[in-house]
Amino acid sequence: MGSSGTSAALPGPVPLTRRYPWLGELARFGGGMVFLAPSLILFAAFVFYPLAKSFYLGFFVSDPFGHGQEYVGFDQYREVLTSEDFRKSLLVTVLFVLYTVPAGLVLGLVFALMANQRLRGFLFYRTVFSSTIAASVAVAAVMWLMLLNPSAGFVNWVLGQFDLPRVNWLTDPQFRASWDSGPALMAVSLTTIWLNIGFTTLILLAALQNIPLEMYESARVDGAGPFAMLRFVTLPMISPAILFVIVVSTIIALQSFGQIHILTRGGPLDATNVIVYSIYTDAFINFEYGAAAVRAVALFLIVLAFTLVQLRFLERRVFYR
Amino acid sequence: MSLVSFDNVSKFFGDVVALKDFSLEVLDREFIVLLGPSGCGKSTALRIVAGLEQPTRGNILIKDQVVNDVEPKRRDVAMVFQNYALYPHMSVYNNIAFGLRMRGLHRREIDTLVKEAAQNLGLAELLRRKPGELSGGQRQRVALGRAIVRRPVVYLMDEPLSNLDAKLRVQTRAELVKMHRLLQTTFIYVTHDQVEAMTMGDRIAILEQGLLQQVGPPQEVYDRPANVFVAGFIGSPAMNMFPAHLQTRDGDLFADSEVGSFRLDTQQAQGATDASDGEVMVGVRPEHLYVGGGEGSGAVSATIGAMVDLVEYLGNEAHVTFSRSDSTLVARLDARLKLKPAEMVPLTVLVENLHVFDQASGRRLA
Repeated sequence: MGSSGTSAALPGPVPLTRRYPWLGELARFGGGMVFLAPSLILFAAFVFYPLAKSFYLGFFVSDPFGHGQEYVGFDQYREVLTSEDFRKSLLVTVLFVLYTVPAGLVLGLVFALMANQRLRGFLFYRTVFSSTIAASVAVAAVMWLMLLNPSAGFVNWVLGQFDLPRVNWLTDPQFRASWDSGPALMAVSLTTIWLNIGFTTLILLAALQNIPLEMYESARVDGAGPFAMLRFVTLPMISPAILFVIVVSTIIALQSFGQIHILTRGGPLDATNVIVYSIYTDAFINFEYGAAAVRAVALFLIVLAFTLVQLRFLERRVFYR
Repeated sequence: MSLVSFDNVSKFFGDVVALKDFSLEVLDREFIVLLGPSGCGKSTALRIVAGLEQPTRGNILIKDQVVNDVEPKRRDVAMVFQNYALYPHMSVYNNIAFGLRMRGLHRREIDTLVKEAAQNLGLAELLRRKPGELSGGQRQRVALGRAIVRRPVVYLMDEPLSNLDAKLRVQTRAELVKMHRLLQTTFIYVTHDQVEAMTMGDRIAILEQGLLQQVGPPQEVYDRPANVFVAGFIGSPAMNMFPAHLQTRDGDLFADSEVGSFRLDTQQAQGATDASDGEVMVGVRPEHLYVGGGEGSGAVSATIGAMVDLVEYLGNEAHVTFSRSDSTLVARLDARLKLKPAEMVPLTVLVENLHVFDQASGRRLA
């Protein structure tokens, strides 16, 4: 009776997508690209293009305005990457990572474990420990600049209370051993750990709070003490968060700039001249854009290598639910 | 000999009363079920035995020793949690072995015990898997295995079947009973499911709002519920209950209600004298209502007229809801009766099947 019967009787046109199935595929791909376009464009403009340009710039000796002047092929790559100052800044960078990442992780874990105890006022406590997330690098660096001031700073005052010698934290040029590039790198590392501790604590705390309470109760009935619970329940359960923190804080350390710029400007005697800072010096102080580009490419490959190695070796020990 | 005793145990969480003056003797090798609606305190009672909670007042004894301040691990109890609480990062083997490792057993000894437990539970093929790779039923077995392997003095089970589907639940129920027989150990089992309680327990302890309502074998709890709560909670469909007023006529005691007037037998009459103000609740189970007159049966009976409201066929039987005045009655009848809604039928109840409770206190009178 309804009018709907009449339209079914007419021979409708065969849809194009049925005659040419690949058209449908293409349409789907096109549709996907439309949705991806905003982020692709942004990535292209601010990541892919600069990355390609840096590679390219490394083949040129540039003029002070950053234009490639003379094509030198791989000569510049070879020259910069084998230079003494690059080796030194590579060492400083590695030391900086070693000073900041493990200590930051352990401290963050301790804070997170403490904040996870349902003690009186834990909410306040948790806020305090995650507050460094809100502090900008500049603010934190200036604050530490004051704390580390050799004559009026709090740190030296504390040392003085214990009759320990005062330290010229940011200016003492001594370089004692390859594993110890003096107090300046320590000071910068301290600032960096402080800066990241809020992030680390928060990530680990969130992971801790996801562990079901029954798991601890079951472990208690099974006879596990506090240490065994930490070792067999807590740490395995938050291992994905730990891996995440290691990878991310390594990347953050490898890219640190602000605190170094404000505290030491890479000094004294290049003791804190990490690769990022040497890129800055080369490009914007010495106007050697080509050399800076080479260092930037090197840093990119180092970050990539670090991350891949960490993911590959640590992921095996991580349990994902 | 009682293995676990609650001696006037109370537990408060702030202002909330979880358990109040709870006393219970759990006998050695007994399978006792703590039954009650959610929030009745049954899980709290179990957790107090485990040592996961401390009683606010009173004592908890295991093997006649007060264990209020004894750490869970020194109580020699094993617990199966509702959501199993398996360690997701450990293999089945390591999950089962965990408690033994924590007790410092030798590796070879652990291996023997774990493999034996796995064999008994049909987990031998799954020992290398992680809990995430198991079905719900298999996970449940791992949780049981983790408890069994420890050979504790008492097993504590907190609704261990509630995450299983209906079919598996029935199957596991039977296996747990078999396991109890095999292990010859005390089980304290918490559930809100009366079918589990009735089918598994040697005795059932019914709790409500932190108070112990009744303890007894399943049949006794069903046949002689101690109060209105137990009467209404145990049995499905629930017992029909209606308020009635006691009245003496011609030397006999009658319970007059909207549904009908019932002449109580001597025994009931004797018990009913305790009723405050002569106000009682009269209860009758759905299976104790019959269609038809009560003539010639010999037993004392009462017949009332009632109208069919709703018929629910279950195949072997039918649950029929009747209305009479403002009251409703549910009867469990033969499915072949083919009753139709709005039909008027005579319903008979044998007086000996009536339960009489005090209306004010809810206590059983007869």
